[in-house]
Amino acid sequence: MPISLEKIGFKTLKLKIMGPLIPNDIIPFEWNSIIAIVIGIFFGFILEASGFSSSRKLAGVFYGYDFAVLKVFFTAAIVSLIGLLYMDYLGYVDMSRLYVHPTYLWGAIIGGAVMGIGFVTGGFCPGTSLCAVAIGKIDAIVNVIGIMIGIFIFSELFTFFEPIYNGYFQGNITLMDSLDVNPYWFVFILTVVAILMFAASDLIRKRVKKVFY
Amino acid sequence: MVNRKLVKFLSFRYIILSIVFIVLAGGLVVLPKFEKQEGIEPEKLLADAISPERYISTDVLADRMINQDPTLLLIDLRTAEDYNKYALPNAINIPIENIFSKDYEGYLNQVEYDVVLYSNDNFKADQAWILCKRLDYKNLRVLKGGINKWYSTIINPEKPTELMASKAFDLYSFRKAASMYFGVAYPQKETEKRVVAKAKPKVTTTAKVVVPKKKKKKMPVEGGC
Repeated sequence: MPISLEKIGFKTLKLKIMGPLIPNDIIPFEWNSIIAIVIGIFFGFILEASGFSSSRKLAGVFYGYDFAVLKVFFTAAIVSLIGLLYMDYLGYVDMSRLYVHPTYLWGAIIGGAVMGIGFVTGGFCPGTSLCAVAIGKIDAIVNVIGIMIGIFIFSELFTFFEPIYNGYFQGNITLMDSLDVNPYWFVFILTVVAILMFAASDLIRKRVKKVFY
Repeated sequence: MVNRKLVKFLSFRYIILSIVFIVLAGGLVVLPKFEKQEGIEPEKLLADAISPERYISTDVLADRMINQDPTLLLIDLRTAEDYNKYALPNAINIPIENIFSKDYEGYLNQVEYDVVLYSNDNFKADQAWILCKRLDYKNLRVLKGGINKWYSTIINPEKPTELMASKAFDLYSFRKAASMYFGVAYPQKETEKRVVAKAKPKVTTTAKVVVPKKKKKKMPVEGGC
């Protein structure tokens, strides 16, 4: 006869809700796209509401008159990092099951450089350009057409780019894996560095001639 | 009307937020660390360990083997020496010391097959089961009684006495038939043995017959349109 768990002093098993919600089947997989659309709508709304659909604001980082982009994205990264580590610590999220973007080293470096040049010259990153198209900015429309042309050229020359695109694969690594540092100290130092950077960017902004836009 | 106190407070908002950030991040560093539980939770491991479902009986295993269940994966946990002397058909030999070596991990840590672990009795197999289950390996079973039970039930089944229920006779006849399938000859029934001997090649011939049948099916196909 099987022994019941209660008799030997164990509590009955409870369904433990632990993130990530979709990989752990707490939210069915089919909701994936719907949730993505809802999050996308809010993301676009907040981008537009905080003025990120203006190419002048975005390009301000490079000319030193507006550091909102730097501050927003760094703050977002730090908030999510600290939040995830706390939730992992308390057992609400299983960090090992989160999706980690794979690293293709040289592809990322070259792609990042190309994207950076596009960012300076166009004043948009792909997400904000679509956001700006939604409110009817002509420069954003031109930018999106440029993106499409870029995609077309890339796909036509894909066989030529493929060794870089698929090469130098490092796996799904994080900075903590590759540097082999304690994640908690890393996040703490990153936070301090980010705040110092925000302070420094404020100092720079005060010295640079103000631009009205 | 401007609330002056609030305005004064809000002028420090970025400094306050920065301090909140640093305190939160510092909290992560200061928090006492603990070793994380890997694999399944202890309660679940225990619940599965005391569940009789983790065993498979020799009869069920024999039935599945005779029916050539493709999902079955037998793993022999004994030494290579014992394995070479006698092993269940199509079993893979993974000595218990090597269950976590990289060469064999693919056999144990998978979801496609129903893995049946066995050793001489179920002692080693139970150990291996606990170790693998702890790491959340799926579809693991232990052959109840191991090879010894296999011998005493399938290979050399005990004849039921006349006073036993008819179920016992059914079981005996199944076990005896199974033992014939696994190659045991019964000298007291020479006539039956011949039938068996004839039946065995029949299996192979029927398997061969199937192939020409397929060819025949291909023959009448004509280029219609």
